[in-house]
Amino acid sequence: MMKALGSSRFSRRRFLTASASLGIGTIAAPYVARADDPTLRITGWGGKWGEIMKAEIGPAFESEFKCKLQIDSAFPYLPKLQASSRSAPIYDVMHTNSNEQWAAAEMGLVEPKIDPKLVPNLADVYPYAISDKIVGVSIFTSAIGLGMRTDKGYGSITSWKELWDAKYNGVRGGYVIPVNSLGQAFLMMCGTLFGKGQLDLDAAYTALEKLKPIKIVDFTGAMEKMLLSGEVGLCVIHDSGIYRYDGQNQPTDFVSPSEGVLSLEQVLTITPGSKMKELANAYVNYMLRPEVQKRLAETVWYSPANKKVKLDAKYDAKLLTTPEKVSKLIQVDWKWYNERKDEIDQRVNRIFRA
Amino acid sequence: MSTSTSLAAAERATPVRTATVPRHYGRYLYLAINIAILIFLLAPIAIVVVFALNPTPFIQFPPVGVSLRWFEKFFASRDFMHALWFSLEVAVLTTLSATLLGASAALALARGNLPGTRLIVATMLSPLMLPAILTGLALFQTYVLLDVGRPTWGLVAGHTLVTLPYVVRTTLAVLHNFDTRLEEAAQNLGASPLRTFFEVTLPLIKPGVLAGAIFAFIVSFDQFPVSLFLVSPGNETLPVTLFNYLKFDLDGTIGAASVVSILLAFVVVIGLDRTVGLRSYVKL
Amino acid sequence: MSASIEIAGVSKIYDGGVRAVDAVAMDIRQGEFFSLLGPSGCGKTTTLRMIAGFETPSAGAIRVDGADITHVPAHKRDMGMVFQNYALFPHRTVAENVAFGLRMRGLDKATIAAKVKAALAMVELSGLEDRRPAQLSGGQQQRVALARAIVIAPRVLLCDEPLGALDKKLRQQMQFELKQLQKKLGLTLVFVTHDQEEALAMSDRIAVMNGGRVEQVGTPTEIYNQPTTRFVADFIGDTNIFRGERTTTGTGASALDVGKGLILALPPTDAQGTGVLSVALRPEKIRLSPRGDAAIAAGSSAHGIVENTNFLGGAVLYRIELASGHRVLVQQPNAGTSRLFVPGNGVTLDWTPADLVALKD
Repeated sequence: MMKALGSSRFSRRRFLTASASLGIGTIAAPYVARADDPTLRITGWGGKWGEIMKAEIGPAFESEFKCKLQIDSAFPYLPKLQASSRSAPIYDVMHTNSNEQWAAAEMGLVEPKIDPKLVPNLADVYPYAISDKIVGVSIFTSAIGLGMRTDKGYGSITSWKELWDAKYNGVRGGYVIPVNSLGQAFLMMCGTLFGKGQLDLDAAYTALEKLKPIKIVDFTGAMEKMLLSGEVGLCVIHDSGIYRYDGQNQPTDFVSPSEGVLSLEQVLTITPGSKMKELANAYVNYMLRPEVQKRLAETVWYSPANKKVKLDAKYDAKLLTTPEKVSKLIQVDWKWYNERKDEIDQRVNRIFRA
Repeated sequence: MSTSTSLAAAERATPVRTATVPRHYGRYLYLAINIAILIFLLAPIAIVVVFALNPTPFIQFPPVGVSLRWFEKFFASRDFMHALWFSLEVAVLTTLSATLLGASAALALARGNLPGTRLIVATMLSPLMLPAILTGLALFQTYVLLDVGRPTWGLVAGHTLVTLPYVVRTTLAVLHNFDTRLEEAAQNLGASPLRTFFEVTLPLIKPGVLAGAIFAFIVSFDQFPVSLFLVSPGNETLPVTLFNYLKFDLDGTIGAASVVSILLAFVVVIGLDRTVGLRSYVKL
Repeated sequence: MSASIEIAGVSKIYDGGVRAVDAVAMDIRQGEFFSLLGPSGCGKTTTLRMIAGFETPSAGAIRVDGADITHVPAHKRDMGMVFQNYALFPHRTVAENVAFGLRMRGLDKATIAAKVKAALAMVELSGLEDRRPAQLSGGQQQRVALARAIVIAPRVLLCDEPLGALDKKLRQQMQFELKQLQKKLGLTLVFVTHDQEEALAMSDRIAVMNGGRVEQVGTPTEIYNQPTTRFVADFIGDTNIFRGERTTTGTGASALDVGKGLILALPPTDAQGTGVLSVALRPEKIRLSPRGDAAIAAGSSAHGIVENTNFLGGAVLYRIELASGHRVLVQQPNAGTSRLFVPGNGVTLDWTPADLVALKD
């Protein structure tokens, strides 16, 4: 409609630029993109990740590829993508967790695979990053395990099952499963621990029932704070949620249980309707570059997917940087999970409402 | 007559203590209820302030000290500063457009002798009934369909939609009690209809329009559900930025941002009161 | 400067067909104090609002000094108006209220200030320039409204029940002052009221309205002494109305048989014709005396018994049941306690047939 009305000189991008420049407090981006530069529209996290993307990684990409990177860091990504047209999606590359990527792939909103010919760095990633449990490519992963207070005399913890010990009544921490990926992954782990495997939901429900009393939160960030304040003594958490306080002498530690850690993947996918396919593939390839991987990994404590990345010793010691360490990762079958999500949500709501 | 006399007699006959004690209880109860309501209203603000001033990166009670580090972090953060200014910009634009449109609409509805006035009023107030998140999603989808992207004016339009009802309502309320003879008096004295509007009508409905404008500003400044879908990358409003921040970092910066928002809203209300006189509305 | 107004067959029909004003015609002369009098809903206010330009007539024309102003907007009519409850601008001071019309006329500040000062002096409000209307008493507000209306030297001053909100004492004072002012300035003044005493006291002429129509236009004495319709006779003051069949007395004079043996002699002017007729007789036109044994004059006197005595101060109003069963009101000046009749007293009433006024129904 707009296009039919407006002349070619008054393109949408120009219009957006014009309206943005009207803003009172608009701060100029470090790379001053020209109006006719192509724009790659992506999603991305906030927090430390967002800061370094905006300050370094993004601008470097922009100047190298002569483009403008438009990062949407305002949730929720999937409903926005869903609401936009398939032929003109509002994102070219979507970055989000694996479960949401699966949902998007099921609806045909993102391409299920990345072409290794167009993204050469795909050849260097660990197998989990492009396994059949992954849509697109996982550029980083976190390990979901247990977070504990080291100042409460809990002793050494080696198993997930420790969480069910009665001595943690009152200081046990978990998540609102319907809205939190960690909670969902943990539910699958329960099936593995107490039943016939990941898909044994009944065993998982029984195990969850026995976890009560438990403090549940919806944001992972809230769990970090509760552990730091001592409100929670032992909880389900991802390693970066503990390691990011490295150097602050916090009495907390991450436990990698002997049964294995769950994988919390940072996944990139490309939308089928993208008009910037070439740039999108370049971006995915760029994010898999060893130096980019190293910079981001050491900023946010995510384990890089590229095998060739050499992290500094401090990070190397704790993150999953070798085939042996990576082999401890358990990937969740999100496709299977998403198909049953409504049923699971109902059931767990009933369990924790009581 | 006889009833009141006998009542008065009965009161005189009753011992003083039993007559006065219940009255005192009533007053204490009234006081207690008021204090309870005040605490209920102010407690969240107090907690936010404590959170903002406490140096630990998590909510801790009792607080371990007083520090401005979260305020420093907030004011040093480019994202937060940009979001704060952007929110202000959107709130000011929204206030202007909602006030202009809402007051004009209310005038037309109250004076225009339009058919189906009640239906129009109901439609105008309907954004209040609809969950704002749906309003946001619907607008987002509309913009996508029209291929206009997510421009600032689109966000302002969304905010205008949900703030319009406040202006329409408060303006209709003053118009309802408006003595139209004042306008006739002005015309009789030689004022043209336009002149009458600016000399008489506008000054007299100003308190209602202003109250609506203040509502519009605060609702826009604090607006989250409508903004959620309509903000564009790099131009997020403060509530959306806070929400996104909250997902990764839950520290006192949130508290500091909230305190700044509260103070800002306070400054705006006081400022409007001082400059254009909110007090006349209180008198109404 | 003052103008005459001609209202020519003006009607106002509202949506839904309500005829608020029905073919009203009257001429208001220059410099005249003209009242529109009638009960609420009679159309007097609507007529005034059409003169002011707040309503447009559905039919007919309004002319000022011969020029048709029917479709001239209110703000170009150059008329002053004093509203019921005054309609003072609450957000402006007394001086600003009075200055409003002058400001709209684009006068310079010094002229405005001088005129405002003079107008406020005229209504004796000097010194209250900076007050707000809400800080004034009802009487003061009324004066401000008056000053605001006359300061623009209007061609016509319109008043819509301007004194209705004042208490009686103040109202009488203001009536007097308004009349004085009108005379002094030679204003054409159209005054709407439902208070017949007010209308009688102040007006040069009165138009009595009922049901959207003009019943009678005349001077206060004409309206009072020679009401032409039953409505006017009834509405203005107290009156006794008799309705009966024309007949002829034994002496050949015209009379009215109002039934039950009561025959009223008609004045020669109303003697012609036959059929049904209503006549009015004012209570104060009847003389009252203690009942004597003497025979009474047929047609102009009757016997009766006092039913009710209503002491009014300067006068006494009696309700008397005649021997024929008719009830009449009789008003006598207060001539002292010795002359007061009490209920149950037998009395003789007599009157002059010329005081009977024939009415149109």
